Amino acid sequence: MDSTDTILQPQEPKTPFDKVAAETLLSESAQHESYFQLVWRRFRRSKAAIVGALLVLALVILAVFADFFSPYPLREAKLQDAFIPPSTVRFVDAEGNFHLRPFVYAEEVTINLKTFEPTWTENTDTTYAIRFFVKGWEYKILGLIPSNLHLFGVEEGGLIHLMGTDKFGRDLFGKSCEAGRISLTMAMFGTLISVTIGSVLGVASGYYGGRADTAIQRFVEFVNCFPQLPLWMALAAIVPRTWDSFSIFVIMAFIFALLSWTTLEREVRGKVLAFRQSDFVLAAKEMGASDKRIIFLHLYPNTLSHVLVILTLTIPAIILAEAFLSFLGIGIQEPLISWGLLMRNAQNLQTLGLYPWVMSPVFFIIAAVLGFNFMGDGLRDAADPYATM
Amino acid sequence: MVNYIIRRLVISVFLLLGVGIVSWVVIQLPPGDFATTYEAFLTAQGGMTQQQVQEAADRLRAQLGLDQPQVIQYLNWMKGIVTQGKFGYSFAYRRDVGELIGERLIYTMILAIAAHSISTFVGIFIGIYIAQRKYSLSDNAASVLAFVLASVPRFWIALVIAYLMVFILNQHHITSFFSPQYALEPWSLAKVGDFIQHVWPVVFIAGLGGVARNLRVMRGNLLDVLSAQYVTTARSKGLEEGKVIRRHAVPNALHPIIAYQGTVLPYMFQGEMEAAIVLGIPTLGPLFYESLVSQDIYISGGLLFIYAALIVFGNLIADVSLALFDPRIRYN
Repeated sequence: MDSTDTILQPQEPKTPFDKVAAETLLSESAQHESYFQLVWRRFRRSKAAIVGALLVLALVILAVFADFFSPYPLREAKLQDAFIPPSTVRFVDAEGNFHLRPFVYAEEVTINLKTFEPTWTENTDTTYAIRFFVKGWEYKILGLIPSNLHLFGVEEGGLIHLMGTDKFGRDLFGKSCEAGRISLTMAMFGTLISVTIGSVLGVASGYYGGRADTAIQRFVEFVNCFPQLPLWMALAAIVPRTWDSFSIFVIMAFIFALLSWTTLEREVRGKVLAFRQSDFVLAAKEMGASDKRIIFLHLYPNTLSHVLVILTLTIPAIILAEAFLSFLGIGIQEPLISWGLLMRNAQNLQTLGLYPWVMSPVFFIIAAVLGFNFMGDGLRDAADPYATM
Repeated sequence: MVNYIIRRLVISVFLLLGVGIVSWVVIQLPPGDFATTYEAFLTAQGGMTQQQVQEAADRLRAQLGLDQPQVIQYLNWMKGIVTQGKFGYSFAYRRDVGELIGERLIYTMILAIAAHSISTFVGIFIGIYIAQRKYSLSDNAASVLAFVLASVPRFWIALVIAYLMVFILNQHHITSFFSPQYALEPWSLAKVGDFIQHVWPVVFIAGLGGVARNLRVMRGNLLDVLSAQYVTTARSKGLEEGKVIRRHAVPNALHPIIAYQGTVLPYMFQGEMEAAIVLGIPTLGPLFYESLVSQDIYISGGLLFIYAALIVFGNLIADVSLALFDPRIRYN
């Protein structure tokens, strides 16, 4: 005991207290970048990651303010406007004159008397100028503030459908913006559930170890041997169609979460296992910190960057799966609308052949998946900012 | 080693039992049992009174043991699968599900394995090619392409291919395995050609994602290996670069690809499934989808079991082949 006592004796500072040096030290530590600042710095360096983040942001804005971006009412079907092809926005007219203000030609319909299929053609005699920030149909911003302002529209009598219309005459562009609400929230909600399950089990498995660890790892192996898509399809098909939309939405999110948490669990477990023996955790333990404190203050925050990476990569997987299920008609049900559901008409080969633009909502899916994938890739490189590149 | 393989086999059996339980639960989850479906079937057919229908349903219940506890029912179902290959009865097809699955399973396996091997080889070769040209135009192009391919919905690629084939090229090679004139012919070279003409989109779509994954893994591994000291040694003793790559680098970069095969296989089946459903190629995928829509529960449950079993076997093969090929791994 004697020897430890002498070590613990406060030692005389070799140099007298230097006020200036202490202040520089303080100000330097204030300038010191936090972990997330470092991650952000590295993330910013990747152009692809920034493009991805911007894509996602754009889709979120389009979804939230879908009413503003949609020139036509979202809740109305105009059956006489079925299957209008995407409008060509023009600057140069048929005579070759340049117009500063973009315009569209009038659309005229002829009905095939044998099959009753509508065919739309452009009539180059009449032009309709496109106007921006026009007043149109009434809606509420975020469901609260009444407004009738829209980003764009054409003069009275003209039609503008950037991505064409579907069987019910719904504007596919406006509908795709709106569908992002369900497709994106569904993916994020499902991912959130899977992150929660994965984190709890991962921490439990890594921190407590022993039998709990073995049991959880066997369970993960078991879940992993299920084919995701078939099980998702089977469970989604069981959900009764008579349920209300909200219940279907929640249950679908749970179904998607059910098989997506295992990667995250493995990652969190690995990190916790590695950090459990590190000096700072041992120090905290020696000072009598509770398990709760160690887990929430010391261990879990250190896995967060990796959680974030997997989170960003789980979202696109769920978006793709949800789109496919809804496309098949066993996912999201009307009156809810998602990107996959909007493409449902394309399942009919004849419709697809006559009106190929019914596939156009796919561009929103691709943008979302690419955006999240790019972001996730950038985050993966940035998650470990202390490593040299 | 033998011990390890035996242990893996035993684990696989337990996994299959668990998989069977979940498949069984999926069969049981919808309200009503098999006899209820039978009731509906008889009522729809007509010609029987309500009471007769009820009696027939009860008789079927007793016959199939549906009035027994769940555990017994499950064990009977598993026994049927293992001993007789019977998965239950399908009303839509009026046959045993086992027969239905059997004839389609072969085609599904052919397509999935074709997609798997093609994507593995193509992925590995592109990976080797671009790893030697790090950050060159071809490297960047391949990386971007791999990224985009993984982000595009496969069912949409299938739709685009269907559109191009039917409406632009006027080829009607979809929704079946063979053209009508070959359907009943014995196998010949011409028939194989016809078969390939029909199924290449499925193999292509299922393989695309696999190429993207294999390419990235191979590129990464090879780059790691190429920076190892023994590669520098090989180069400095004057070995030509081609030999360094072929003899020293590639064999050591291949192990993670082998370990990876088990996880790629389900991906192949899912890709095959997605493409086959959209294109209407009669493999297991469309059968599964139709059974889900028409609530033909024994088909859904049986197929779920088959899919999971295929993955379990795939993992088993991957683990065992890794044990055989990678001398660095010791199993004790």
